[in-house]
Amino acid sequence: MRGKVSSPMWPSFRVPCTSRKTPPFLTRRGFFMQTMQALIIAGLLLGSAASAQTTLTVISHDSFEVDKALVAAFEKANATRVRFVKGGDAGELLNRLILTRRAPLADVVYGLDNSLLPRARAAGVLDAYRSPALKAVPDAYRMDEANGTTLLNTVDSGFVALNYDRAWFQKTGLALPKTLDDLKTPAYAKLTVVPSPATSSPGLAFLLASVNHYGEAGAWNWWRTARAGGMKVTRGWSDAYYKEFSRNGGKFPIVLSYASSPAAEVFYAEGFNPAKLPEQSPTGNLFLPGSTFLQLEGVGVLKGARQPALARKFVDFMLSGGVQADIPTRMWIYPAVAGTALNPVFKFAQQPAPTAVKPVLLANPQRLIDGWVTNVLRR
Amino acid sequence: MARHRTFLLALLPLSFMALLLALPLGRTLAEGGVNLSIWRDPYFVGRLGWTLGQALGTAAAALAVGGPLAYLLSRWEVPGRAAFLRFLLLPFVTPTLVAVLGLTALLGPQGWITRLLGLDLSDGPGLLLLGNLFFNLPVMIRLAHAGFARVPPNLIGAARSLGAPGWKAAWTVALPLALPGLTAGFILVFLYSALSFGLPLTLGGERYSTLEVEIYTLTAYQLRLPEASALIVGQLLLTGAATWAYTALTRGGAGVGAGRGLPPAPRHIRVILWALMGGVSLICFAPLLAVVARSVLTSGGPSLGAWQTVLGSAETWALVGNTLRFGVLALIGAVLLGGLHALAAWRARGPASRVLDGLSLLPLMVSPVSLAVGYLLAYPALSATLPMLIGAYTLLGMPLVTRSLLPALRALPPRTLEAARTLGAGSWTVWRTVTLPLTLPALRGGAALALATVLGEFGATLVLTRPEWATLSTGLYDRLGRPGERNLTEACALATLLLVLAVLAFTLLDGGEGEVT
Repeated sequence: MRGKVSSPMWPSFRVPCTSRKTPPFLTRRGFFMQTMQALIIAGLLLGSAASAQTTLTVISHDSFEVDKALVAAFEKANATRVRFVKGGDAGELLNRLILTRRAPLADVVYGLDNSLLPRARAAGVLDAYRSPALKAVPDAYRMDEANGTTLLNTVDSGFVALNYDRAWFQKTGLALPKTLDDLKTPAYAKLTVVPSPATSSPGLAFLLASVNHYGEAGAWNWWRTARAGGMKVTRGWSDAYYKEFSRNGGKFPIVLSYASSPAAEVFYAEGFNPAKLPEQSPTGNLFLPGSTFLQLEGVGVLKGARQPALARKFVDFMLSGGVQADIPTRMWIYPAVAGTALNPVFKFAQQPAPTAVKPVLLANPQRLIDGWVTNVLRR
Repeated sequence: MARHRTFLLALLPLSFMALLLALPLGRTLAEGGVNLSIWRDPYFVGRLGWTLGQALGTAAAALAVGGPLAYLLSRWEVPGRAAFLRFLLLPFVTPTLVAVLGLTALLGPQGWITRLLGLDLSDGPGLLLLGNLFFNLPVMIRLAHAGFARVPPNLIGAARSLGAPGWKAAWTVALPLALPGLTAGFILVFLYSALSFGLPLTLGGERYSTLEVEIYTLTAYQLRLPEASALIVGQLLLTGAATWAYTALTRGGAGVGAGRGLPPAPRHIRVILWALMGGVSLICFAPLLAVVARSVLTSGGPSLGAWQTVLGSAETWALVGNTLRFGVLALIGAVLLGGLHALAAWRARGPASRVLDGLSLLPLMVSPVSLAVGYLLAYPALSATLPMLIGAYTLLGMPLVTRSLLPALRALPPRTLEAARTLGAGSWTVWRTVTLPLTLPALRGGAALALATVLGEFGATLVLTRPEWATLSTGLYDRLGRPGERNLTEACALATLLLVLAVLAFTLLDGGEGEVT
């Protein structure tokens, strides 16, 4: 599932100073700029005047992928063209939507998750729309608003979880840690690498889980002890997984990734044959209590969308059977609609029992990140 | 009249830079204002110190290794010299993550060299500095080589016949004459290292992050624009000062052009040369070879599986097609605009010339992260359109064309031009028969460098991209965003393709002698 070179963070939302006076020269240039832009757009429009079809613009995080045939069918059924734009990873994506909310980049957005929703709500980038298909999504996976409306319709879910390198533990004969308290001792901390909560979404998820488990003071203490014991913090998921994880040339046999990663390891192994699945995945999940976090990814209509009706249809499309069955082995997530058949390779991925995270933590994750930076990283 | 025409020449590149650089940057700074109080935080002052320190260290190391090697290469012919100079362009085209993969394959905790020597660099800043050298040693060597190549060989010969030993002739005659070129190389390496982003982002971890990484974190993740703007302003002052010094040093560019035959190196010189070339190859080429090796080595032994998938899929050829298409379009823009800029700076007299000279370096001085935000704010309707993408790539390539062409123009013997005019040639004929042929090698060298920069650029850093625009570099970044060994080997195979493409492009564009100053 998404991870990307670095993944996102969501700071306390700040209105980008609409109240601050723009220097006059910039406004005048702003006018010049808009004229230039209008000219260029006019040129582009003239160039494409032949295709007077409507276009629906979908913005997503970089990891989004779906079968082209399904998209073509959607285009045909709705007599429209769908244009996909990649907005960086989920956190960057939200920041870009906030920066451009007066001139939205797209009509519909896929890829914002439950840890980003509070900021998206406060910034007012989404319009309420509840897909009828949401009925088929179990209650625990929905992201409904307090007033009964819906900004984000859950498309898929996934657990952020610790993974370990089976071969390494077999070779050394070391027992696996059983709790987070075990993990913070030097014996295990020096085997562990996690992406930073300040610059990656799995890192933030892990921070939220640890604060939920230990409370704030306890969590700072856990992180400080683990870091002093040798736990490595990298910037993004790719650094942790492809540079530091022992399976890929690093020296840390425990890495923070996703609960679905062991299944992906089987799927992308050399000589993978769906008819002859191996005994077990080269990596395993390490579900220590208080270490997992359920991420819910959703799709929603952007405020100011030029094609609101089509945008709603696209939201329904993402929850349709075809897409739900197609995306799991593309993005390594679980489909949200109950009863969707999964590729057999998913038997290598287990799902832990979801732990409810206190809503107060999700309301302002940036406060926790600031706390972590001050109390752990720069102490 | 002449002044008028110079102004017209400069108009196009300058308006382009105003639209794609000054305006978006101003827009970013204006969006949140500038909160200078961030500079009172000891953490950020520390980042500034580290940024300066690692850039100075890299520049000094590059000078120490690259200077002597460039001198010997400019004086003697050894087998492998031309190929060595041509392959030195490869690090330019290498996407940061590919360099990182190569370096960790060699020097990571389980790296091949690490296991051989039992030396683990992965916890300190060692890998970051080596990465800096990987990208910057070639800059230093090529610049210093250009500087030394302009020293008339008969001056050194005179010193030798008056009894000075080789090292003394080099130290007292060649060095002072090539000093501007060497210092310019030092400053350019400093500038590149001070602003480098991808390398400290992946190799520096949390402890060795540079200002540019902090700007990225504050902008892309935290949306704290006022604080980010304060860092941007500080960084601009720093790079501005370095650029000013640089243009002052490279102004006097007269001298002998390269291309004359060199005597074969005597035996002891050959040994020194090969030792130095071997050391540089270890830093600049070994990581690339490691990436190629990684594309066929899996945990279960050697396998061509990744190559079969990569070469057999239509997606790969779409990636190659996009890479070439965007590369060529941006190259045309960069050659046109960068070429006009160089012509204007050459024709202008006095301070105007120096200002134009300095302005051509602007795209290298400004943080790409802040430009990306500026594009979104200034041109929301154009984001994720092809003109924006090509425009941004053109901006990246322009300075390399200008930097390459300008010294060649300045080195044109004024008497040749006058003679042609005296003989009745019109200004167009002079241009076609004298100026262009004499400066064509430099133009081709600059074009090769511009293309290299564009090919290696990770598409998503400057503009929003669309899936159908995926290039080889975005394709390999996509793979490294998913778990599973096959993704890693396929990424390495795509990186190998990119390198092959680059070698082909260089061979077509440039004879390996391209100079940037």
